[in-house]
Amino acid sequence: MAAITVRELRKTFQTKHKAAGLRGSFRSLFRPQYATVEAVRGISFEMEPGELLGFIGPNGAGKSTTIKMLTGILHPTAGEADVLGYCPWRERQKLAHHIGTVFGQRPQLWYHLPAMDTFTLFGKIYDLDDAETRRRIAFLAEAFEIQDLLDTPVRKLSLGQRMRCEVAASLLHRPRLLLLDEPSIGLDVVAKQHIRDAIRTMSREEGVGVLLTSHDAGDLEALCHRVIIVHHGQIVYQDKVSNLKRKFLTRKTVEVRYAEEVAKDFHLEGMQTLKTGRYGVKLEFDTQRTPADAVLARLSAAGTLVDITISDPPLEEVIARIYESAASEVDGQ
Amino acid sequence: MKKYWAIFKLQLANGLAYPGEFIGRSLLILPFMWIFFQLWRVTFEASGGAEINGLTLRSTLWYLVIAEVIELSRPRVANTISEAVKDGSIAYILSKPYNFLWYHYSSSLADTIFRALLNLVLGGGVAWLLVGPPPSLWGLLAVLPLLMGAWALNYCIAALIGLLAFWVEDTSAFQWIYQKLAFILGGLLIPLDFYPAWLRSIADVLPFSAVTYAPARLFVEPSLNGFLAALGQQALWLLVFAGGLGLLYRRSVTVLTVNGG
Repeated sequence: MAAITVRELRKTFQTKHKAAGLRGSFRSLFRPQYATVEAVRGISFEMEPGELLGFIGPNGAGKSTTIKMLTGILHPTAGEADVLGYCPWRERQKLAHHIGTVFGQRPQLWYHLPAMDTFTLFGKIYDLDDAETRRRIAFLAEAFEIQDLLDTPVRKLSLGQRMRCEVAASLLHRPRLLLLDEPSIGLDVVAKQHIRDAIRTMSREEGVGVLLTSHDAGDLEALCHRVIIVHHGQIVYQDKVSNLKRKFLTRKTVEVRYAEEVAKDFHLEGMQTLKTGRYGVKLEFDTQRTPADAVLARLSAAGTLVDITISDPPLEEVIARIYESAASEVDGQ
Repeated sequence: MKKYWAIFKLQLANGLAYPGEFIGRSLLILPFMWIFFQLWRVTFEASGGAEINGLTLRSTLWYLVIAEVIELSRPRVANTISEAVKDGSIAYILSKPYNFLWYHYSSSLADTIFRALLNLVLGGGVAWLLVGPPPSLWGLLAVLPLLMGAWALNYCIAALIGLLAFWVEDTSAFQWIYQKLAFILGGLLIPLDFYPAWLRSIADVLPFSAVTYAPARLFVEPSLNGFLAALGQQALWLLVFAGGLGLLYRRSVTVLTVNGG
């Protein structure tokens, strides 16, 4: 049986519309105008138990709204969902015992108290006995490397440290499913890596399924088996991450800095020059046509390398390319 | 119930995270008591008698101690709830296996108890110095269950206002109105005994007097009949507001729009 089954889920919000200026304010006072926003427009998908599923898309795509409907916080306008055998918005409290949630931008740990206090409180809230809570905290503290952080007031932790504590707290009651809404938002590279490693370990060791929203393609590559891309409230693509990588995440950007000045018409075989500076140059290449090791060899042959950064294209670009390919498929038919 | 007790205890600890601020705010009762003592002393002198409508200067000042304790220890529940709705942190509370309203009640009670104790010690201390001990120690015993009733009733009204944030963007106007009604019709600044008959009869049939006036008045003149009448009045309003709160909450959850979704 699937862990999550979603059929034609829709959510429409009414937002108040107001023209600019004082006149607009007065008009809206007496004759308020409402605009209808279709945040989620008929989403359907399934997720297997223990699966690591990425739910990605740009800001405002409807990712968080969907996750909030799956936790039962938001009631949908139409459609059905089954999460671990429960209808989320009708059986929210029963479902809450089996899922863990982290909403990246909103802390669940008590801000002025040490994280340990929130962990202990969660033990009580999820009806664990004290000995079990202690054992579980010790286990999670090791898995997330937060042993030294638990007794520090949360407000004094860095964002990366806090996020590790947040995710660990959401796993205290051994949920079967973890819903993570932007867990890596605002984190630096090292902190992101820490969080991803810990989530992967917990998923492997405890078989917990993870549904993760993000607008960072890196989260997806590092963590997920399968990906669903949403845009304007609709699913535009769903496939295995390996397929997505092969098809769409093949273009990489590379920025290099040389010890010597670079020529204005700098060009290397198999790469497209995007920008040249006095010492630096920005290029793009396709991993399917030019392997990364060939790129590195050609770059170092061109001069004395001081610095090099290889990065993925922004997700917006990937989605635009998925759209293009969907459109060309339609044209070809 | 275990989980709400745990929330209550954690909120007590949370309240102590900044003891300076907490004590500082409680000091407010000291100038209040001093100013009201001066006002009522002059009023009683001008009236020429030891009593006005059944209250002496001593009982009036002790009435004010309890009324101020109730007012100043009132946590800003309406604000907390409406902020949670507006900034989206309500998502966490709703995704945990506890009841949203009981969660806020437990944490608001923890905030209330600390503040009330401190205000009672400070305000009572000043009153004791100015006019002597409270008229009756029985009053203290009788007032405790009524304080619980007052806090519960205040919570229901404030939470109702807070939940309005699901429909209106800003609930501060409603909070302001409630506070002013509690001041005037609850008998915070002037005991209802001193009101003209027509205003008194209006205040008597409204819920605000059950929050402030009833416990404070019983404290200075405890009696079994008075106690039962005040308890009955609170129970009746609690039934009305808790029922309304439950209904509004159920309705709110279905219209919930979490910001930043």
